[in-house]
Amino acid sequence: MARRGAPVDVVGVGRTFALGGGEVEALRGFDLHVPAGGFSALIGPSGCGKSTALRLVAGLDLPDEGTIDMDGASPDQMRRGQRIGVAFQDPSLLPWRTVSTNIRLALELVGRRHDTAAVSDLIELVGLQGFEKARPAQLSGGMRQRVAIARSLVTEPDLLLLDEPFGALDALTRQQLNDELQRIWTARGTTTILVTHSIPEAVYVADDVLVMSPRPGRVVARHSIDFERPRTRELLLADEFHAKVEAVSASLHRSEGQVVQIEADNS
Amino acid sequence: MDRVPARVLSAAVGILVLALWELLARTVYAGSYRLSPPTAVVVDFFEYRDLYLRNLWHSTKTAAWGFLWGNLAAIALAGVASIIPVLRRSIGAIALTVFCLPFIAVAPILRLITGPGNGTPITLSALAVFFTTYVAALLGLDTAPGSALDVVRSFGRGRFAAFRRVRLRASVPAMIAGLQIAAPAAFLGAVVGEFTGARSGLGILTVRALGALNTDRIWVIAVMATAVATGGYMVIGALGRWLCPWAPALDVGAVPTARQEPGLLNRLAALLAPIIVVFVFWYAFLWVFQIKPFFAKTPLDVWAELFTNADAAETRSSVFGALGTTLWTTSLGYVAGLIGAVVTAVVFILVPWLERALMPIAVALRSIPIIVTTPVIILFVGRGLLTTTAIVAVMSFFPTLVNCYAAMSRTPEGILDVLKSYDAGSAANVRNAYLPTAVPALLASARIAVPTSLLGATVAEWLATGDGIGAVMVIAFTRNDYNVLWVSVAVLTLVAVIGYWLVAALELRTLERVAPGVSR
Repeated sequence: MARRGAPVDVVGVGRTFALGGGEVEALRGFDLHVPAGGFSALIGPSGCGKSTALRLVAGLDLPDEGTIDMDGASPDQMRRGQRIGVAFQDPSLLPWRTVSTNIRLALELVGRRHDTAAVSDLIELVGLQGFEKARPAQLSGGMRQRVAIARSLVTEPDLLLLDEPFGALDALTRQQLNDELQRIWTARGTTTILVTHSIPEAVYVADDVLVMSPRPGRVVARHSIDFERPRTRELLLADEFHAKVEAVSASLHRSEGQVVQIEADNS
Repeated sequence: MDRVPARVLSAAVGILVLALWELLARTVYAGSYRLSPPTAVVVDFFEYRDLYLRNLWHSTKTAAWGFLWGNLAAIALAGVASIIPVLRRSIGAIALTVFCLPFIAVAPILRLITGPGNGTPITLSALAVFFTTYVAALLGLDTAPGSALDVVRSFGRGRFAAFRRVRLRASVPAMIAGLQIAAPAAFLGAVVGEFTGARSGLGILTVRALGALNTDRIWVIAVMATAVATGGYMVIGALGRWLCPWAPALDVGAVPTARQEPGLLNRLAALLAPIIVVFVFWYAFLWVFQIKPFFAKTPLDVWAELFTNADAAETRSSVFGALGTTLWTTSLGYVAGLIGAVVTAVVFILVPWLERALMPIAVALRSIPIIVTTPVIILFVGRGLLTTTAIVAVMSFFPTLVNCYAAMSRTPEGILDVLKSYDAGSAANVRNAYLPTAVPALLASARIAVPTSLLGATVAEWLATGDGIGAVMVIAFTRNDYNVLWVSVAVLTLVAVIGYWLVAALELRTLERVAPGVSR
């Protein structure tokens, strides 16, 4: 398997937002390491700063403290070097563009407008043949997400950041896209970070599942997942899969308990 | 700059503009009869304040009566259209036709019925508010939640109960938004009516001052008219926020057009029904008011004058030639205003402190009935073709700017994040996100702008330029050539209605492509 992409090293990152009159500390002492070509999943309770962490790695926001390094480059340099692909929970397609021109947008932005082969390859990879000329409004939620993922991949980035891209989809579509995500990652070998709410999803697709604490978020547990690839749906029924899900679930509950503990200490 | 409060910035900009105005009027434009310095405007106002206040009061009273009757009629007909949906298309056709009438040329015809008194300005004022209030009221009546209507129906009550208990209540915010636009429009109708002749009022005072080249007076009147019209807009806006604080701000101008029912027969009905209704209305109007045949022209008379009479060819060449001039100068002005507005909106998006400083002023200016300030523009630009272009450009600039900026600022954050993740620059953001997002708003503004621009153009031509169809109409009026007057009014109205529908069709197509479900 060809391994490509940049390793990600996040050390001691903190980020605080001003909100109304007060402040919200989203992240404190956040560490993360993803090897080149690795696939990590970030999981944690609602509002624990998962998306904030991903935006910092994407260079869309700056940390107040700590460092983020990717192969010697900062997120901002990576972003400016156009080496990052992102997909959010909201597919954020341009409604006036078709499927193929939405995917081409990324190429236009990096100055490779004429790479039509890349677009048609990606359309095939995400299974949208025949829909090239359709507009987002004519597609289902799952199809729109495929377009967003194809767009994030078409520039062949060194780092793929996925912020709950399947969060709004039904379970069946979601599983289907997880299979495709795995297939795409296997084919491309891009360093990938996936933010998700779903423990089975994280365990199914990732090499590493990182569990975050409630706000201020930091990584409190790391589970490596060493199931053989390609993983298939039979895995979902296997005992060792359930054991992993249970283990991650337990550390997620422990992490939620910690805050209760901290809040109790404060009172 | 980002920390200075918007109010302070706006006030600073306002003072700066006044100072610049004073300076220009005292130096570059001194003795040119074009620009009066603000201080002279104030001095002149106090010197002749009895005259000014008397005429202002007269015009305001006229506008208030027109506001009352026009809105009552519009709301009543919206109610009828809501309860009896079959009538909706026909009432809508009448409302749109009224909106597309060249008011300045309608005035002499109305005067035949109402006599020389105040009836014509009041009627024009009522006509000027009719369409927007009708559209707003109908939109409001339609926004009633379907579930609430089902509740009424589940108790075995009918359409009328649903109307009274649910629809009427739900329509209040939209109706107030409509009435807000109606306030300056009523003032505009009154003043335009007075332009063509009245015993008293700001309109006739302006016309006399234009004749006497009394620059200060023209400026005083423009400032007063602007203040009162904007004041009415703001008072009703405040009333709306006080009455229904829960309701979001509504832009009634941006109401999408009705979706076309599929099928050839439906299309044919949709096309023919309004035409038939308008013709029936036309004949009914002549019959009810028993106007003498010398003044009253039927659709058949207009047809004969254009195609079968001995001098038909002559009429055609003079009317259509002039129409060509009007359309050319109007489109030029509209496009200039549009480009200026889009460029300004883009600058505002990219330079937020500039937006905070200038946008409140643009929002205030948007509510001004620019047509009322036509004499000032005539003074400033002169009496050439450029005057028409300038007036239409100013008229289209402010509403387009406000709507366009509002749409651009609603560009989804996610799209901007995607662009940012590829390090897209300002130019790429504008091209890929902001401009396309603004297209529906631009089309909605353009749809309303077709009739209003043509009205602005004909007013300018009637009062000053001596070109275009406005001039043809004023000459026909002074020569008592009612054939040509009716032909011009009919042709101009038809052009405005067609223009409105062309833009509406384009708007519908665009909306269906990028946002199905938004259009209704």
